[in-house]
Amino acid sequence: MRRAVLIVLVCLTAAGLAFGTGQKGDTGSTLDFQKAKWDQIVAQAKKEGQVVFYAWYFADFFTEAAAAFEQKYGIKATVVMGDNNANTNKAVAEKDLPVGTIDCMIMGGQNVKTGMDLGLFYGPIKGIIPDADKLAPSLWVVQEGVQVKGYLAPFHRNQTGLVYDPDRVKEPLPQTFAELTAWIEAHPKEFGFCDPSKGGSGQSFVHTVIKELCGGLDKYSGDTEVVQSKVANWNLAWEWVQKHKDQLTITASNNDTYGRVNGGELTLAVAWDDGIKDLINKGNMFPRAKMYIPKMGFAGGGDTMGVLKNSSRKAAALLWIAHITSKEMQERKFTMVNAYPARTDITIPNVMLTEKDRANAIAWFPAPYKAFMIAEFTKNVLMK
Amino acid sequence: MEALVPLHVRQARRRKGFILLATGFFILVQIVWIGLPILMAVLWSFVSAKHSWSYPDLFPKVLGLDPWRYVFKYTNIKRALVTSYSIAPFAVALSFLLSLPTSYVLGRKNFPGKKFFNIVVLLPIIMPGMVVALSLSRVFQAVRLSQTFVGLVVAHTLMGLPYMIRVLSTSFQTIPQDVIDAAENLGASTFVKIRDIYLPMVLPGLLAGMIFAFTTSIEEFNLTFVIGTPTFETIPTILYSFMGYNFIRTNASVVALVMMVPNIVLLFLVERFLKADYLSASLGKM
Repeated sequence: MRRAVLIVLVCLTAAGLAFGTGQKGDTGSTLDFQKAKWDQIVAQAKKEGQVVFYAWYFADFFTEAAAAFEQKYGIKATVVMGDNNANTNKAVAEKDLPVGTIDCMIMGGQNVKTGMDLGLFYGPIKGIIPDADKLAPSLWVVQEGVQVKGYLAPFHRNQTGLVYDPDRVKEPLPQTFAELTAWIEAHPKEFGFCDPSKGGSGQSFVHTVIKELCGGLDKYSGDTEVVQSKVANWNLAWEWVQKHKDQLTITASNNDTYGRVNGGELTLAVAWDDGIKDLINKGNMFPRAKMYIPKMGFAGGGDTMGVLKNSSRKAAALLWIAHITSKEMQERKFTMVNAYPARTDITIPNVMLTEKDRANAIAWFPAPYKAFMIAEFTKNVLMK
Repeated sequence: MEALVPLHVRQARRRKGFILLATGFFILVQIVWIGLPILMAVLWSFVSAKHSWSYPDLFPKVLGLDPWRYVFKYTNIKRALVTSYSIAPFAVALSFLLSLPTSYVLGRKNFPGKKFFNIVVLLPIIMPGMVVALSLSRVFQAVRLSQTFVGLVVAHTLMGLPYMIRVLSTSFQTIPQDVIDAAENLGASTFVKIRDIYLPMVLPGLLAGMIFAFTTSIEEFNLTFVIGTPTFETIPTILYSFMGYNFIRTNASVVALVMMVPNIVLLFLVERFLKADYLSASLGKM
């Protein structure tokens, strides 16, 4: 009996190892996209006939964009609305397969480092996408501190700032760190930001606190790993948060912050402009909500789209990216969801943060410091 | 005056008062714990896109069908409903068939390592769902079960098995041995014992296990998302798109109600068939 059980276990283990190697599949076109002309890519895309795209927001815009894509090119576009982390997990699960099920996906700031470190994407694609030079130039290079090297196409720009209820927060609005500190002390529990490990808006706030209290951001520029001597004084930032912990509200996520603003618990909070605008459009936030970027600066960036390395329909994916980043679609995106386009050749009114506001935007420090910041915040603030 | 009332009457009154108080407290807890969240979900699902429900309004000022229109226009919710309620019954049936022998052994036999196996059967629900999904997707890719209906049924069965096994093994445990012995003495075959003794007596446990397995299947997200999409979408995959990183409360409320209402109806239907008669009778309680 024991021998039989042992034999079965050995067979199962061997089968499991064999299964782990994955299966073969049609890996798609042999066209060299780096050298091909755009017309050749479009023709190849039509041969491929389909593209599968994963996103997690703007379901309305992407559904209509898919219909327009199908009408224009005769290529079926399947849009799957998932979740930021779930989409990345699925791409990671499939990364060693010869052929994956995802052709193209949005890459948000939260997971861009994972995506680039694991080599999920085909590229670079900057030299392939038409009008690439008209898309947010900085995002082709760096996305939230991560070098993306032209592998990911900007399609959407967003920016963190302070959202407030103008009925309850009166001018003058806090602009400097000292003014914000005084405001927080005068309005306990009315200012909120999210746990940096759970949302980019919280990361942006802590990033600004470090900038203000620990000697600016220039010293981190160009670093590819954390230099311990440069972070030795970050205790000043943690001490500030600890000192004001009873007056601050640390929320569980970007969305938790927005919900608390809408519910009246918070009157001033750190938020993403596109998140706030989307909620206003869908009746989940009061329309009177306003945003600004104080003079001390908040970081921003945007989201990008990439072609998965193991996609068998790369031409269709490239064409899809070109479609979403086209002037027509970028204007439609703005009209439908009021989200800031990635194209720099479009003039748009009625945004949460104008170009003048964005003059106070600052760049992120390199990604290793961001990861270190999140870990240290958890250790020195949340766990104390 | 109190002293003139007989003791047994006073005690009966106190008991009745206590029962009324306990019942009232239970109803209040149910209203707060379950009723209020459902009411909130219903209200949020009817918030007009042009008139937000925000501080300081206690109730939405204007109601509308905008969230419902949005969900039905921009998601594949109808297809997802059909998929969800197609997978679940198969997953329940397969869970039952696969769990029957295991739960019989765990419930009625003693063997070395029994406690260890009792824990091992719970592994699918102990491990984080995404970890199970990522690992299982590799195996399914190799055996060409990924992106297939059969693959999803098998995956959902995996998550329902722990519940089915634990509930059924408890039910098997409670079957009195003297009833089995009596049946054997009267010449009952194995098939007759299974049909006339075991199955009727484990029926309440079976129904409870079915409810667990069914709701687990309906609510399963990780496995469906990694193994099933883009070919298959279920209600949870749509719900998570509104509840995850991009939380839209109005749309999430619509999807939650769409998911909840059929489940509540099913639970009421199953409750009508839940009977403890056989087991009670065998224990001389009827």
